[in-house]
Amino acid sequence: MKDVITVAKFTIKEMIKRKSFIISTLIILVMIVVGFNIPNFIDSISGGDFSEKLLVVDNDNVFEGQLEALKEADSGYDIEIGKASFDEIKTKIENDEISAAIIIEKQEENVKIRYILEDITMMQGVPEDLMSTFNTLYSNIQISKLGLTQEELESITPNFEFTLEQTDEEEASGNILVMMIMSIILFYAIYFCAYQVSSSITTEKTSKIIETLVTSTSPRTIVLGKTLGIGIVGLIQMIVIVGTAFISAKSFLDPELLNSVLDMSNITPYLAVITIVYFVLGYLIYALLYALTGSTISKPEDIQSANSPVAIFAVISFYLSYFTMMNPTSNLNIFASLFPFSAPFCMPFRVMMGLASVTDVVISIVILLASILIVAQVAIKIYSNAILNYGTKMGFKDILNMYKSKEN
Amino acid sequence: MGLELKNVSKTFAGKIAVDNISLTLNTPGVYGLLGTNGAGKTTTIRMILGIIKKDSGEITWNGKAVDRKSVNFGYLPEERGVYPKTKIFDQLIYFAELKGMKTDDAKNSINKWAKELKVEEYMDMPAEKLSKGNQQKIQFMTAIIHNPELVVLDEPFSGLDPVNTEILKNIIIDLVRNGKYVIMSAHQMPTIEEFCSDILILNKGKTVLKGNLKEIKETYPASRVRIDTDTKIEKYIQELDLKIENEKNNEYVIKITDEEKAHTLLNNVISNGIKVNKFDIMKPTLNDIFIEKVGE
Repeated sequence: MKDVITVAKFTIKEMIKRKSFIISTLIILVMIVVGFNIPNFIDSISGGDFSEKLLVVDNDNVFEGQLEALKEADSGYDIEIGKASFDEIKTKIENDEISAAIIIEKQEENVKIRYILEDITMMQGVPEDLMSTFNTLYSNIQISKLGLTQEELESITPNFEFTLEQTDEEEASGNILVMMIMSIILFYAIYFCAYQVSSSITTEKTSKIIETLVTSTSPRTIVLGKTLGIGIVGLIQMIVIVGTAFISAKSFLDPELLNSVLDMSNITPYLAVITIVYFVLGYLIYALLYALTGSTISKPEDIQSANSPVAIFAVISFYLSYFTMMNPTSNLNIFASLFPFSAPFCMPFRVMMGLASVTDVVISIVILLASILIVAQVAIKIYSNAILNYGTKMGFKDILNMYKSKEN
Repeated sequence: MGLELKNVSKTFAGKIAVDNISLTLNTPGVYGLLGTNGAGKTTTIRMILGIIKKDSGEITWNGKAVDRKSVNFGYLPEERGVYPKTKIFDQLIYFAELKGMKTDDAKNSINKWAKELKVEEYMDMPAEKLSKGNQQKIQFMTAIIHNPELVVLDEPFSGLDPVNTEILKNIIIDLVRNGKYVIMSAHQMPTIEEFCSDILILNKGKTVLKGNLKEIKETYPASRVRIDTDTKIEKYIQELDLKIENEKNNEYVIKITDEEKAHTLLNNVISNGIKVNKFDIMKPTLNDIFIEKVGE
């Protein structure tokens, strides 16, 4: 155990001293802080004025001088009422005095409302909200002219209640899009951390230091120490990144904007613990698989091809949980939450959606732990036999033979 | 006491790497393990160190079966390797700690050996900045830093310049003086002759020659005569049907099959009034013996 700690300590030191590690972590942190500040930057550049300036011209007085009411309606536009010709409007738009204009013109049989922008390439049509604002205002003007009583007015105003329901008994809560994004982040965190184990083992093998190392301590100690060390660095890195994102979101983002994207009530300490547990277990199972493939490589150019089976396996497992998340009550998603290689990408989100009971989580963790023990056994055995082999790249058959032969 | 191998064998994927070899090191000294490339030396060393398991036979150190824990050994592998980006001092501490040393003891030992090997100024540098020879000295340090009882040196002098070779030689002599057991594998036969009292020559995994180097040589008949004269003596050599191996400034190295012919040649030369400055009947070198045993 003492040697495992010595190996882990050395691995941690090696990792955190690496320039590439320091720079990439710093870049991620800066990107997070900058990312969460983008709304504020835009705010400060546009002088705190988010809404677009819209000039409304009603030359024919269709709205009977009631257009001022538009300013009170929450239309999302900074509305200015005025008079101008098309050419004047063109000049104002070109000079950035306004971003758009509306010209209301009375025609013989109807009223034409022209929505004028500098460029309409990106527009699907006149915005719905704008149309409905004008429709409502016009209806109100006409209704008030009819002199209806309060009751009559209420009777023609629809009083509908729209709700969204499902036939399935289990109901998922939370924003599926956010979960998918977080699932991708968790996948990359686990995957890249685990990949480091392979890369570290390969470096030791290709630099021939392994011969000295393996006479100084046992292969088991090396694999476990390395996995532990890289895992600790990865976990701390993830906590720092998530922590920075959390603090940045809280301190830089408008709380309303934040709540519209992420329901903070879903993020409980229980979920945080579950996520960390699955990160650690997911990391362990993939790190050990990578220890196995990493030990079979003798030349740096073989890294890609030797590691690709693990990479393909990881991606398939990830997609198994990712795509079934859209249908979280399906049997396939339940399978993904129990299958040890996909559980780390799936279970935290079932917990977040309120679909997994404590028993489900415990069963999944037990399966995962048992699988880790099996993978560890196989990985250490093959590592022990493969690290001193500097020959050509090993095939599946060679690896199988190494598993069958005596452990060194 | 010491190291003993009894009928040790190892097979890799049906191919015999080491076939039934036995050897004994019962007094401190340097034991020579020789063989061509692929003869089974590294496999033998790895089995002695417990890095790979033997298929059969017995390996004991002080009467106890060896494994990683039971022997305090140091190893300089033939495959040289260092952590390229890590500070020399950090990697030395790492290996010393893995060998069970306390950090303070490790630091003292590193300082002592760095001084002796003249690599003090490199301690704070990453290994990749060091020359190959200096990297090799660092690796030699990892092998001896923890004061091991058994030191295995695989090609310790390959790639070293004469100055550094001398430094290393003196350290090895000191190790033996301090009661250490050293197993040395090398391709330079003069080095082995200089250090080793006992040798074992492997060929294709099998022992082809084993024993005390001096005694082995005694069993071989003289193979050459060196004669230094003041004029040319080709005529006398050809008369006796002998073959010149080398000649430089009237110093001849002549192959002989029996010593009698050498004496006849000397008599013939002297009786013809030629002055002889040097006359030396030579036993075969280890190189000759090696080539005879493993050359095909």
